[in-house]
Amino acid sequence: MTQENIPGAAPSLARLVQELNRLPGIGPKSAQRLAYYIIRLPDEDAYALADAVTSVKQSIVFCEECQNLTDASPCPVCADPRRDRTTICVVEDPLDVLAMERTRTYRGLYHVLHGVISPMNGVGPDQLKIKELFNRLERPELAEMVVATNPTLEGEATAMYIRRHQGREGLRVTHLARGLPVGGSLEYTDETTLTRAFQGRQEI
Amino acid sequence: MAPPRTYRCEAIILGYTPLGEADLLVTMYTRDQGKVRAVGKGARRSSSKLVGHLEPLTVVKMSLAHGRNMDVISQAEVTQSFAELKEDLTAITKGQYLAELVDGFGAEANPNPGLFQLMIDCLRVIEATKGRESESASDMPLRFFEFHLLQVSGLMPELYNCVECRQELEPDAHRFSPNVGGTLCLDCSPDDAHLRPLSLRALKVLRLLDRSGIVEACKLPVDAGLADELKSLLSNTVAYWLGKEIRSNSFLERLHKESQPEVYI
Ligand SMILES: [Zn+2]
Ligand SMILES: [Zn+2]
Repeated sequence: MTQENIPGAAPSLARLVQELNRLPGIGPKSAQRLAYYIIRLPDEDAYALADAVTSVKQSIVFCEECQNLTDASPCPVCADPRRDRTTICVVEDPLDVLAMERTRTYRGLYHVLHGVISPMNGVGPDQLKIKELFNRLERPELAEMVVATNPTLEGEATAMYIRRHQGREGLRVTHLARGLPVGGSLEYTDETTLTRAFQGRQEI
Repeated sequence: MAPPRTYRCEAIILGYTPLGEADLLVTMYTRDQGKVRAVGKGARRSSSKLVGHLEPLTVVKMSLAHGRNMDVISQAEVTQSFAELKEDLTAITKGQYLAELVDGFGAEANPNPGLFQLMIDCLRVIEATKGRESESASDMPLRFFEFHLLQVSGLMPELYNCVECRQELEPDAHRFSPNVGGTLCLDCSPDDAHLRPLSLRALKVLRLLDRSGIVEACKLPVDAGLADELKSLLSNTVAYWLGKEIRSNSFLERLHKESQPEVYI
């Protein structure tokens, strides 16, 4: 979006709109709405927002262990002595760690890949934190790797790549069960999911 | 206001990107409308009835509604899932290679049923031959795809007469350039940066690709040297018309390299 799209707008305002427009899911209309909202904010609120953006960029680092985003490395999960160090759960991105943590059922460690292999978009293993994962797999205390990439084509392909290339013998490699979502219905379930749900049926 | 017009179509899903909180922006190639980009509302929620029906390399029957900016997917049902192809990493990557090219060559509002069918035929053969190393290394389904992609796009290279002097080509080594539209005899030497040598056996394979069906073409025994020449020739020609490199290529090459048994001398 350029200045011509907002006739009469001051250059500094046009610049803000342009920056907001670059955020995912924010179209030109939403960008304008947000920009005018920010202008009407009290000074200290607007500066707090700007400061939050600046400081997140200055203080966030990758955890040297799990590659999650953190203020201090190792991150709180990796630094927690109560976590089970025999299991690593591999996820696509930091939000997946939050989702897993909300379940309060998993007590092991994580590894964040920061994406999936996406050949069409030029994302291969070297663009992800896969080398770092393979290095961690060498630890003798490790007994299981749970590959928890999303059950999408690219997520599954990434899981297969990891499975194929991890060279550690005796390591148990698992993935999350595929099945019917809570609240879903058989009628609208695709055949792949239904097949896997059937294969994974359990006694009731 | 009149209710939004809806339409039905059959499509191959090429890919998608997240949009907003829970939507997907889906790119697909349809039999009757060419390339279509449409929104799957709420498709990222696991409770959505669209979930699992919009995965790439899947043939889907769907209903769409014309939207103000973009069409909206109201219903989608998988008709061919290529489930076995999706159990093999190399086969998936080959499928993604096809999807990248169909995305690049396919145009919106410009139907090309031949291209739609070509992609489905190639996915079927990739699925049927997956895991067989000799066939997967020569990548003949991809070469067949590239050749016929040029053909259905009206970019079929000349293989029988020299494109400069129009003389019928002798059974001999020649030269080839996508820039001049195909094969050149050795007497004609235009100033062309894309000019490259073309062996007689590669020319014969190209002619065979022209004449035969995919199953027959993919049974052709091709040694590593010939496979390399064909790959370089065809994928460079496709990239030339695409105007950019084929991105899936580097991961596919990496898989091939990694799957080769190590040689001890
Ligand atoms: Zn950590
Ligand atoms: Zn000539």
